[in-house]
Amino acid sequence: MPVGVIKVARPAPTLAQRRPWLALLVGLWVATRHFFQSAFLFARGRQNFTVHFPEQRFLQPPAMRGMPVLVRMSNGKERCVACGLCEWACPTSCITIFPAETADGVERYPEVFDIDMSRCMFCGLCEEACPEEAIVMSRQVEIACYSRRGSLWHKEDLLVPRDQLQTRLDYLHRHYDA
Amino acid sequence: MSSELVIGAVKAIVVLLLVLNLTALLLWFERKGSALMQDRVGANRAAILGVGRRLGLPNLGLVNTLVADSLKLFTKEDFVPAGADRFLHALAPFLALFPVLVTFAVVPLGDVIRLGGRTVELQAAPLNAAVLYLLATLGLGVYGVALGGWASNNRWALLGGIRASAQMLSYEIAMGLGILSMVMTYGTLDLQAMCRAQGGVWLGWLPRWGIFIQPLAFVLLLVAGIAESKRVPFDLPEGESELVAGYFTEYSGGKQAVFMFTDFAEVVLVAVLLTLFFFGGWQVPYLYSDGFHLPGGFLLALPQAAVALLGVVAFFVKTLVFCCFQLLVRWVMPRMRYDQLMRLGWKGLLPLGLINVVATACVVVLAGGVG
Repeated sequence: MPVGVIKVARPAPTLAQRRPWLALLVGLWVATRHFFQSAFLFARGRQNFTVHFPEQRFLQPPAMRGMPVLVRMSNGKERCVACGLCEWACPTSCITIFPAETADGVERYPEVFDIDMSRCMFCGLCEEACPEEAIVMSRQVEIACYSRRGSLWHKEDLLVPRDQLQTRLDYLHRHYDA
Repeated sequence: MSSELVIGAVKAIVVLLLVLNLTALLLWFERKGSALMQDRVGANRAAILGVGRRLGLPNLGLVNTLVADSLKLFTKEDFVPAGADRFLHALAPFLALFPVLVTFAVVPLGDVIRLGGRTVELQAAPLNAAVLYLLATLGLGVYGVALGGWASNNRWALLGGIRASAQMLSYEIAMGLGILSMVMTYGTLDLQAMCRAQGGVWLGWLPRWGIFIQPLAFVLLLVAGIAESKRVPFDLPEGESELVAGYFTEYSGGKQAVFMFTDFAEVVLVAVLLTLFFFGGWQVPYLYSDGFHLPGGFLLALPQAAVALLGVVAFFVKTLVFCCFQLLVRWVMPRMRYDQLMRLGWKGLLPLGLINVVATACVVVLAGGVG
């Protein structure tokens, strides 16, 4: 016997599986049942499990990779040190960084940090490349816009306070520090 | 004479409006009903100035399907491809719709009503050869579709038209045989007389409906009817996975809407035929011209107008049930392959229909009638 072959015990086909016309009757019954179940739920004002999007939203799990955003520290500054690793890691080259020196002469900061959301493919490689946990994937997905100019996000638009991103950061710690 | 004319015109308009509205209702049921069957939400967005929401009503998608869809279709560009025959291209959808609509002229909606000493048949055209007329108009239905495919100057459309004509001709035979057995059973070509013959009960409780003496003919007419209306599982003529959209590939806007409307009008027509031949038309079980005669011996007297009205209501309820059944079938069955379709038509339904006709003929001759 070849290696890795497992004999699976299959249940004997039911009567409906052996007789196609019976299967048709079963199908008719199933569709009718669902129709009346859904109609009853609709009359009660509840639909099975659909989230009615613009009116209702649900919290995405932390593994969700939405729009990449920059972490804003408690002093109001960005955490980014403009090392350019995310720019280098980005497969679609949607990140543009112009670095500048800070006043203390030690650290750098991005004078310009632009992400072209029309090119971003939400792969999360920038987040993986970042040594500072300065760019993380948020849960934000509603980024449709009316013009191409609107899909270019600047540093000021991208900055999000750190405590709002805590779930994602915890998730990252769980996965990468383990 | 002129009052006869007025009554005739009123009846024609009423029947036409009823059919059109029922068809529109089916368009709604097709979308919202299928959504419920598949645990989806369905059309629930469009509203006129948010009136429904302000009144706290749930959005049933009526505006979406009945107003927005048709507005969209009729304001879209009406495109005619290069090389198409413009006249025939424009004619085809209406040639498809017309025979379906005129068929309803011979459909009896109810028993007679008496208006001021005048007896009015609730049938737009009280024809004594109604079944022949019916078969003739049903046969005409194929022209619009075949013409639409032919006039479009498009291979997909042409193939769809050819498929449609082959399919409709094949299933018309089975349908004709099914109807023939019913004609032999009742010994009349008059649909109103057929409905009258289905009044009363057997054994004191079983309504004398056609389904109980001709179940095989019912199956024949049901299957052939769904095939005639070119709906799933017999929607080969428009099989979008092979032929884009079949015979209406090159149709857009209003003309495409007319083709779509024809499909649903045919659904109504098939439902009406099934109701007339097999479920007593406007007959309500245990209801006679003077009121209800219930099996236990109870009598509930009703005036004649109420009886006639109940008949009309019963006719529409039965028709609606069969319309809904056909829409239900659409969401249950997968599409057949073309050879399966032809095999079912010629090797399945045709022999069954012939056997049924022969058996009916034997019974009619030997027993002097079935009923």
